[in-house]
Amino acid sequence: MIAYNKTWLANLKLRDMLNKDLSAGRINEAELKAIAEKYPVGFYSPGILARVGFFIVTCVVVFFAYGLIALVAASADIFDSPGFPIFLGMISFAGLELMVYVKHHYRSGVDDALLFLSTCMILAGLFMAFSGFGDHANYPTLFGIAFLMFMVLSLRFTDILMAAACCVCFFAFIFFCWTKVIPSGMSTVPFAMMVAAADTYWLAYVNREKFDYYQNCLIIVQIVCLLTLYAAGNYYIIQTLTDELHGTVNATVPLSAFFWIWTMMVPFVYAGLGIRKKDVILLRTGLLLIAAAVITFRTYFHVLPVDVALTIGGALLLGIAYAVIRYLKTPKYGFTYAEPEGENVMDRLKIESLIVAESLSTHTPAPTNNSVKMGGGDFGGGGSSGDF
Amino acid sequence: MPDIYEELHSAGLLSDESFAKVNAERPASLFSVHWEIKSFLYLGVLLLTGGLGLLIYENIDTIGHQFVLILIALICVGCFAYCFKTKLPFSTGQVRSPNTAFDYILLLGCTSFLIFVGYLQFEYKVFGLNYGLATLIPMLVLFFTAYYFDHLGILNLAIANLALWMGVSVTPKQLLLNSDFNSETIIYTYLLLGILLMAGAYNTQRYNFKKHFKFSYQHYGVHVSFITLLAGYFHYYNSFACSAWVLALFFFAYLVYKDAFKHRSFYFILLVVLYSYIAVSSLVVRVLIQTADLGAMSLLSLYFIGSGIGLIFLLININKQIKAK
Repeated sequence: MIAYNKTWLANLKLRDMLNKDLSAGRINEAELKAIAEKYPVGFYSPGILARVGFFIVTCVVVFFAYGLIALVAASADIFDSPGFPIFLGMISFAGLELMVYVKHHYRSGVDDALLFLSTCMILAGLFMAFSGFGDHANYPTLFGIAFLMFMVLSLRFTDILMAAACCVCFFAFIFFCWTKVIPSGMSTVPFAMMVAAADTYWLAYVNREKFDYYQNCLIIVQIVCLLTLYAAGNYYIIQTLTDELHGTVNATVPLSAFFWIWTMMVPFVYAGLGIRKKDVILLRTGLLLIAAAVITFRTYFHVLPVDVALTIGGALLLGIAYAVIRYLKTPKYGFTYAEPEGENVMDRLKIESLIVAESLSTHTPAPTNNSVKMGGGDFGGGGSSGDF
Repeated sequence: MPDIYEELHSAGLLSDESFAKVNAERPASLFSVHWEIKSFLYLGVLLLTGGLGLLIYENIDTIGHQFVLILIALICVGCFAYCFKTKLPFSTGQVRSPNTAFDYILLLGCTSFLIFVGYLQFEYKVFGLNYGLATLIPMLVLFFTAYYFDHLGILNLAIANLALWMGVSVTPKQLLLNSDFNSETIIYTYLLLGILLMAGAYNTQRYNFKKHFKFSYQHYGVHVSFITLLAGYFHYYNSFACSAWVLALFFFAYLVYKDAFKHRSFYFILLVVLYSYIAVSSLVVRVLIQTADLGAMSLLSLYFIGSGIGLIFLLININKQIKAK
């Protein structure tokens, strides 16, 4: 099923493990070298930067190849047919198989781009075939087929993007089936989605270490499930759906107390469980969703003006960080705030400093000459406006 | 996977000593909340300074804004006082920050200083109508802080402010969305900025003064220079001067390539290759577009397909050479 050479995949995993051992001083360089020779990895997978570069260049190549085919096919009247994008997708998919099989590309950017573009084209074809551009849409079939396609692709290429898309299509499929088949589907669909998301999460969580090659895929599945589980009960989403159903504007939602509790509590439950189980996925998803809960709350209740809210929020975050640092001065209960071992590419590229410049530098539009008035009010305010 | 260790050991690939080490009881690994804390600190600084910055201007006519102003000044002074007290001694090499929070406290100090100066100028016209001075002073303070406390983020802020002082901008979003390269003044300003930044990068390396700052100068310098040279080419598209811009671009590309190859930086090689590819392609398009018929379009597509595949092989090759070095 897996497109890649399984022995190499296993050797790659071994190599990662031994690299950790090396940096922790458990084995020495000579041993690692000898083992690496005995357990070879024949993949072509350059670093992350080369991967980005290859991705861009491959996209250019594929786009112009599509263009050339379209030029050749221009006389035959086939642009309206969903078969055309699917055909293009199939061609790039053939290219992908070739690169993986013959050239042994593995996460090199070339295979990523080909996989991404071929699924995009096939999806576009499916959309043309089943959405009916608004009327007589057949979404269950659309997402059902898409789900199967992404399922096969994630199994074959162990790709996290495919796994995420597979998961999203699965939930979309359930959503559209439920609302179409069940008579009072629209009012019960939040609960159906909650059950589906929770079950899928549980499945992914229990099996997270069982499948050797799919651990990253299962991580992303867990994240998508947690987000869906939260979204299924988020007040804003429920309200929007209700309005859509009844054609009202800001109507009160039945069971609104329950949904409000869900909106505000679930992120904290995630974060709390994450701390208790020492699960990074739960913890980080929970922390992110706390921001979503705050935004939802502020959409409906304007308790504080933006500036005061920002100031208090910032001070609160700094206070929490300070308290945690003080508390964990010596590691407690298996927690530490010290940097985890191992160099990562973020440090090498100094991403953090670039983000600082992007978000905190002044946002004055480039003046045409130096005598233009300085945008005094924008100092430091940049980048934060969209956060709350 | 302890069985694999056994396999390696019996195959003689793992010495007895190492085998004992990997099999030894490992201390229960700690759960690190390092990134969570860092994000909290960063977001906290961002929100707090954003909120305070808004707060002053929203309440400009009330008594409250004096209070906010004092608060900002206090934050600024407090942060800098803390940083002066706890910092490690200055050196021309890299200095590690004494603790996790240090970098963010310094950042908070700097941003609140920027808000403070911006407000003084807005309300009291401290620098009069001399707007150059109003941006020059924050810039100098930022550069000083960046070097004195060894803070990369603030160096980036300082570079952004240098651009602002010159009347342009460097951050990618601004550079791509808000800049127009339609006037000669702007093109030459950007060119000067690019040269300044590249000179900065060169000198940090040459005089071995805060060598790790080189990446920031080079990053902005390379982007700004390439974009400006391309802009210059298109600005003088119809005159003979455009060839000078293209030649300058290829010369610049050659210099950056040599330097990047020497220091084994694939990032800058990638940039050189991609920007040069854009330049070459625009020349090819220029030739092919003369005859606007279907044949030319097919040729153009063929060119991009062929050159793209060639580019991939080129990059694979360069990557191999860098690794082999």
